[in-house]
Amino acid sequence: MTDERHDTLFDLLTKQAIEGVDQAELVQLKALAGELNYEVDDSFDIAASAVALACIDDIEPMPASLMARLTASADEHFGVTSTEQPVEDLQPTFEFEPKRSFLGWLGWAVAAAACVALAVNIWFTRSQPQGPTVAGGPTPTASPAKPDLKAQFDEMMASPNMIKAKWSPAGAKDVSGEVVWSDAKQTGFMRFRGLPVNDKTKEQYQLWIFENAKLEEYPKDGGVFDITAEGDVIIPIDAKLATKDPKVFAITVEKPGGVVVSDRKKIAVLAKAETITS
Amino acid sequence: MADSILKRIAEGDRNAVQECLNKYGGLVWSIARKLLRDQDDAEDAVQEVFVDVWKNAARFDETQASETTFIAMIARRRVIDKIRHSARRISADSLDDVLLEPFTRSDKAMQISVEAEEAAKAMRTLRPEQQQVLRLSIVQGMSHQEIADATGMPLGTVKTHARRGLVAVREVLGVRGNLQEATV
Repeated sequence: MTDERHDTLFDLLTKQAIEGVDQAELVQLKALAGELNYEVDDSFDIAASAVALACIDDIEPMPASLMARLTASADEHFGVTSTEQPVEDLQPTFEFEPKRSFLGWLGWAVAAAACVALAVNIWFTRSQPQGPTVAGGPTPTASPAKPDLKAQFDEMMASPNMIKAKWSPAGAKDVSGEVVWSDAKQTGFMRFRGLPVNDKTKEQYQLWIFENAKLEEYPKDGGVFDITAEGDVIIPIDAKLATKDPKVFAITVEKPGGVVVSDRKKIAVLAKAETITS
Repeated sequence: MADSILKRIAEGDRNAVQECLNKYGGLVWSIARKLLRDQDDAEDAVQEVFVDVWKNAARFDETQASETTFIAMIARRRVIDKIRHSARRISADSLDDVLLEPFTRSDKAMQISVEAEEAAKAMRTLRPEQQQVLRLSIVQGMSHQEIADATGMPLGTVKTHARRGLVAVREVLGVRGNLQEATV
């Protein structure tokens, strides 16, 4: 009988470490542990984790956007004010270091964009401006067209107390459009004219939002999105964290799903927003 | 000997937090991506894992496990919790490959942690069915029932292989508790 109870207890401890247990199983586990004077510890979890580590195929770098969110989260957790860097420090530079911060990379990217103008121009010539269409939303998956996006965009653009900005090409020609953001609603839209259709299996666009005019070290991730239609398109902003009074919006082209640190040199397009004065 | 990153985090060293992210970010991300195919779920899980790591840094006991294994344990617990609160998924990896693949990754394991190396050694001493069940459950994230369905083994047999396999690994690691498996 005791062996059966031992086996059941060990089955439950194994299951807990491997796939988790439900409430009833947890109650049973605690009851059996009490009956058998077994002090539940981390030993099964440690064993399962060691097996997982032993079997791991490859360590994949964490997306830079996620790293940035974690760093910001750490700052909040530990009550540290994030480091800010003055705009004037962001002078374009051709120096390239593989592990530079996003901020340093952004400055480099602005300058680098000019150097890849020829390639970018070829890429951009595929665009044929047409009447406004609505592209897929800011998700890695193909999104169905949403006819009301244009109306929502126009309504926000016409509303007071909105953050508005317009795209200025950073090395690439023929890309224009606007950004509108509502702090109160925590929603916004981007309108692009001439941003090329991307092959989402190979690369995706990603929005970065800077809340400080001094351009903080780690901007907020505004979401990954696809351009699925040529010409004039509207994309909803998918800010991952609460965003207040954004000052700068930047678009990069990244691997599917977002940035990987080792891919920083694969820059095709960078667009930077400036506040509209009307 | 330098203090561990977790000990420094427990003492409020902000620099250690960034070191922790730099050193273990890829590992935690890889664990999450392996078991949670959805990118958003994986990102959410990783954020929750690191908050757990910061909150539990003081619990780290280097006599029980290495820092790497401790963080992997926290990551697995959070990911398992995530899986249990959503529809279960089976890894998209070829099941045939997993079923047939022998355990041969000691070289990789040696680079990750002492426990991983020991676990690799322990895995090689297990019966093939036990290795298979542990790989399918721990690495591929399959439930016991899913393994039974996929392999044709009775559910009770799957449970027994998992239990005996994990207990054997646990004993090799020297982390066994105050009860021992009667027969392995």
